Formats: sequence, structure tokens, C-alpha cells
Amino acid sequence: MLTLAKQRKIRLLIYLSFLSVLLFLSFLSSLMIGSFPLSPIEVFENLINPEKNKTISTIIYNYRLPRALFALITGFSLGISGGVIQSLTRNPLADPYITGMASGAALGAAIAFLIPIISIYFIPFFAFLGGISSILLTIFLAKKAKAGPIGFILAGIAIGTFASALLIFIITLAQEKAHGIIYWIYGSFSTSKWSDIIITLPIVAFCSLFLFINARDLNILLLGEEHASQLGINAKRLWILMLLISSLCVSSCVAFCGIIGFIGLVAPHMIRLILSSDNRFVLPLGGLTGAFLLLLSDNIVKSSINPFGEMPISTITSIMGVPFFIYLLIKKGGRYEM
Amino acid sequence: MKCEKCEIIVDGISVYFNSSKILENIKFEVKKGEMLGIIGPNGSGKTTLLKCIARSIIPKGRIIIFGKPIEEYTNNEYSKIVSALLPNWPNGFNMKVYEVVLMGCRNRTNSFWWEKEEDIKATEEFLKLLKVYHLHDRDFTTLSSGEQRRVLIAKSLVQRTDIILLDEPIAYLDLKYRIEIMEILKSLSKNNKIVIISAHEIDLASSYCDKIIVLNNGKIVAMGKPRDIINEKLIYEVYGINATIKWFENYPIIIPKRNIKKEELLCLN
Repeated sequence: MLTLAKQRKIRLLIYLSFLSVLLFLSFLSSLMIGSFPLSPIEVFENLINPEKNKTISTIIYNYRLPRALFALITGFSLGISGGVIQSLTRNPLADPYITGMASGAALGAAIAFLIPIISIYFIPFFAFLGGISSILLTIFLAKKAKAGPIGFILAGIAIGTFASALLIFIITLAQEKAHGIIYWIYGSFSTSKWSDIIITLPIVAFCSLFLFINARDLNILLLGEEHASQLGINAKRLWILMLLISSLCVSSCVAFCGIIGFIGLVAPHMIRLILSSDNRFVLPLGGLTGAFLLLLSDNIVKSSINPFGEMPISTITSIMGVPFFIYLLIKKGGRYEM
Repeated sequence: MKCEKCEIIVDGISVYFNSSKILENIKFEVKKGEMLGIIGPNGSGKTTLLKCIARSIIPKGRIIIFGKPIEEYTNNEYSKIVSALLPNWPNGFNMKVYEVVLMGCRNRTNSFWWEKEEDIKATEEFLKLLKVYHLHDRDFTTLSSGEQRRVLIAKSLVQRTDIILLDEPIAYLDLKYRIEIMEILKSLSKNNKIVIISAHEIDLASSYCDKIIVLNNGKIVAMGKPRDIINEKLIYEVYGINATIKWFENYPIIIPKRNIKKEELLCLN
């Protein structure tokens, strides 16, 4: 008979290979789909040899590849951070969007964008300030209100809505076009550039690494401070550190693609339903699942383009995520304590 | 009255909560290889006392373990010495039974990703020892209270510490598992560990523990070998009921007299 540890590793490998295939397919189709459709063969030929057809390689290298890669990075960071925030707040309904973190980050980034002297490299930092202060405010309000997990969600929605309203207010005052507002509030990858990736990738890589390393202790944090201390963990320090890092991870992406809802909710829960609640599975696989879901959503956005422009990406992620949210609300809403 | 050989010295601790006394001037010592039982009525401070030793509550007074006051240990050092099964088990994210028990290994190893081979082996051994191996793939929250209790005992034991604190380990358990778990704890204490339990089952606690502490209203009212202290007078003082006690070697059978008055039951009509 197989040992339990081996059984777990085998399940992990099966899911991982399944997910890799899906990721590969969605990444490939992301390079194919657009206003100028390409066949898989054209994509491969021009990826390997950019000189073959100048027009096609320009489309791939300047537009589709950065867009697909940035969607991948964002989905990954949303998936991981969603899992972390759910564990830290012990609330299955939490995610970067619902806790107001994403809206706060977008507000911070938008302010930084509108101040001309701030270099693009510092935008993630402002987004981080916005994101962390929003979620801390949400947690504070929820504790004050003593209304349990649902109170936490309500506080998050209040903070998120307020941040979004401020965001629209500021962008309108700055006389940005309406397109800018939609871009910030509902997210879009249509303007993703290589420079965004160069700034975001190192931050997301560092944050994910930190969160992975602490995944095992995050499991124990789920049991509460008392149990965590008995197992030798400095619970308070770890809690605040993980909150900071996960918020940095999300904010750096939100700064360049706007607010994207529900990926951080759906992705980690899919792993919990399919595999296990162990954060050593939930975080990396939830990240990959998030990347896949976001690429898929972006593909749908790209293939439904019309002459007036694209629809925002949150349209698709909300259509996928809200039914899932309702399912969790009904099934688990009252069962967890803050 | 310091005893050199004693591994745990509880030196006059008191706990107050909003000016009401929970524990008052508790003093006792425990030697290696001893199994200590704490009994007493509901609200007498049994759990609070265990929580003080587990460092969940910081009392007034001193507790010295292995010659060092407990507040001088770091969390990590302390987790290698003391394991505790306390109430308030949180309703986590439907962890699987195996994962819950595996968490107990966190204190032994600082490897961050997979557990070491010996820890995985120990986890499976303890799952088998507490007869919960067949449940390993079930969600913890879907188990019955008795099964949950056994899983949590496994999680405490897999920490493999020298001092084991268990708050009502045999509550919710059926006759068979009560005996089995008491036997496991007894053999642990014979292996030079210190086992401290709280229990409502005076009979089982008396027959297995080397020493009993009887708490009432936050004070120790009796302490010593079960055979010497458990008697009808004590039961009356502590629980306020008349009872007849018959001893079968180390095992007391306590037959309580009917206590509730007819007038008190009038509200049921």
C-alpha cells in the first residue's frame, strides 16, 4: 500500500500536469486570438524565427506576448494572494477584490499616475500603500463591528466601493477619458507592455517565493494564534508579514491592469475542492489556476471585440466568479469565525 | 519546598478575570514519569490551569519547567517541550484528518516544505495508534465528536514532547476508547514523560493517574494519591452530593444519591 504522503504527491502531480496542459493551450490561443487571427503554425514559426514575417512577429512580440504574459502574472498573483487572504482572515469569502484591497491599490496607483513627477517604477509602491491601508481598514472595521465573517465582507465592500468612487472622482477631475475609468475599475490588459512586466515580475516572484516558503506555517495559522504558538510559531509577526507581502503581490499587478474581481476567490477554492486545503497545494496550484482562468477570460474578451473596443476583463471574471461566491456564501457563509 | 527532581514547579499562580478569581495561589509539583489528573466541577479552573502551563494564559506567579521560568523559553523551544490539547478548536478550512495530525510535526523540524521522512512515519503510526487511520482522507469537520477528539490527541502526541497536557482527553469517547487512551497515556508517562490531564471521569482518572489534584472554585482542595484522597466526604464538599464509593483495587465506583428536589422540577410541568 502507498503511504499517505506518496498518495498526496501523486495527486499533486496529476493535477499539475493537467493544469500545465490547460495553461499551455490557453497561452497558445492567447497568442492566436485577436483582431488579426493567427494559426498555431504561424505563431510557432514566428516565435522561433522573428524574421520570417515582420508584421506577424510585431503583433506577437509587441502586443500579444506581453499581454498574455502579464495576464499570466496577474492571475498567478491574484490566485496566491486570494488563498493567503482567505487563510489569514479565516474567511472563505475573502479575496483581494472583496476585501477592498484591489480597489485601494488601484486608487493608489491612479494617484501616482496622475502626479507627473512620479516615475513608473514607483507606481507599485503607491498601489501597495493603497492596497494595504484598505485591507487593514477593512479588518479594523470588521473587528469593531463584531459581525463575524459576513460583517467582514460588508466592511470590505464598503471600503472597496469608497475607494472606487474616489478613483472615478480623481480621474474625472484630472479630465482623463471615460475609457480610463473603465480601465481602472473593471480591469484590462489591452495596454499591457513589456515595461509593466519588467516592473511587476520581480515583485511577484519575490512575494510568491516568500508566501510559498511560509505555506506550511500558514496552515497552522488557520488554527488560530493559540494553536500556532504551541507549535512554535510567532503568530502575530507571521500574520502581519504575510498580509503585507500578499498585498504587495496584488497591488503591483493592479497598478498596471486595474481591478480584477473574483479570480482570487475562485482559484484557491478550486484547489480546496479538488485536492486539499493544505496551503502547500493551495498556494502554488491556486496561483496557476488563477493564471489559467485569467488567460481564459482575456481570450474571451479578445475574441468578442467589437468596433467600439473591448469589454473590461472583470465582466468575464464576475460572470465566472459570482455564482461561485453565492455557492460559498450559502454553503459556508456562517461557518467560519473571524 | 522546592524539589530538585521536579520537572514542573507551579509556584503559587493566580488568575483573575475582571476582578473575579479563576485560580488562586495554586502550588504543586510534578516529577518525571508521573501522570497527574486534575478533577473538579464545571468552572473550577481545570482548563485555565492547563492553559497557564501551556502559556495560553499568563498568570500571576511563577511556573518553572526544567529549571527555567516558562516565559524565558521562545515559542519554538517551548513547542519542543510542551504539547497541549486545549478546547476552542477552530473550524478551519476543512482540513483533512491526515493534514491536521501532520501539523503536529511543525515543532520538530524547521524544514519548510515537506515534512521529514521520520515525521511522516510518526504521523502514520499515531494515526494507527489512535485508530483513526481509516479516516485519514476525511474532512476533519465531518467527523463525530469522539473521532475529532482522537484525531486531536494524535496531533498532540505527534509533537513528541516530554510534557503532555490534555484537557478532557476522554470526553465524548465511548467505553472502549476511554480505556485505550488512558492506557496510551499511562504508558507514555511510564516512558518518563509527564502527562497532565483534566477529566470529569473521577473513576478512570483515579485508576490511572499517580496523583490527583482536586480543584474547587479555583483552589486546590485535595492533592495526593487517588486512594488517599477520593472519599465520600470530598465528593460532598466539592460536588455537593451524597455518594457511596466502593473501591475495586485502584478503581473507585461512585454511586451518587439522587439529589434534585421535587420543587426544583416544578418548572417542567
